[in-house]
Amino acid sequence: MLKVEVFSSPGCGKCAQAKAVLRAVAEELGPDKVAWREVNILAEIDYAVELGVMSSPAVAIDGQLVFSSLPSDGQLRAELGRRLG
Amino acid sequence: MYTIGKLALRVEVSADTVRYYEKEGLLAPAKKTDAGYRLYDADAVRRLRFIRQAQQCGFSLAEIRELLALKSSDAACCKDVRGVAINKKLQLEHKIRALQAMSQALTELIAVCDDEARPLDECPILAALDNSMARQMKGEGDA
Repeated sequence: MLKVEVFSSPGCGKCAQAKAVLRAVAEELGPDKVAWREVNILAEIDYAVELGVMSSPAVAIDGQLVFSSLPSDGQLRAELGRRLG
Repeated sequence: MYTIGKLALRVEVSADTVRYYEKEGLLAPAKKTDAGYRLYDADAVRRLRFIRQAQQCGFSLAEIRELLALKSSDAACCKDVRGVAINKKLQLEHKIRALQAMSQALTELIAVCDDEARPLDECPILAALDNSMARQMKGEGDA
């Protein structure tokens, strides 16, 4: 199962909209294939820094920084599809 | 109105710094005298203090330019500034970690040096730095 973590700061309206679109991509694939977690970057800044997150928002998959800004839904779908094989 | 010297004195920077900020597009005189001397208004004092304060928080001049643009943009809101601040904090946290790693490496090197009376050509600190340089150069050669 893939673990998708989206790092952003609470209160970012622009992020909230984009995150909803990406979340739908994860939900399409099903909770048995993709675990979705939204990370409050301010509350977990040490973890974000550990993964190499240099700017917010960002997306990590399986503990690895994959997108240093929010991807489009197509980009996320392609990346998840590639990893699921 | 302030001349460049008076403005600089007021904010405790040099006149060269004020000119440099102008060159970088951060600050402009309100007007120039017929003889070409720069004259600044009270807004320049506030702007200059803002720049100095932001620099002390670790913002680069490019980032300060972005903050100043947000400050004067009607379309920008506090969230935009917050975003810049969050990204800056992330960068600072990365730097802090890198500095901690460097400090730890030095602690280890200092611990290796247990004999201050040894001649310099046997210095384990210099030897370790030499070795890591050699490793780096070898690594670059391999790549």
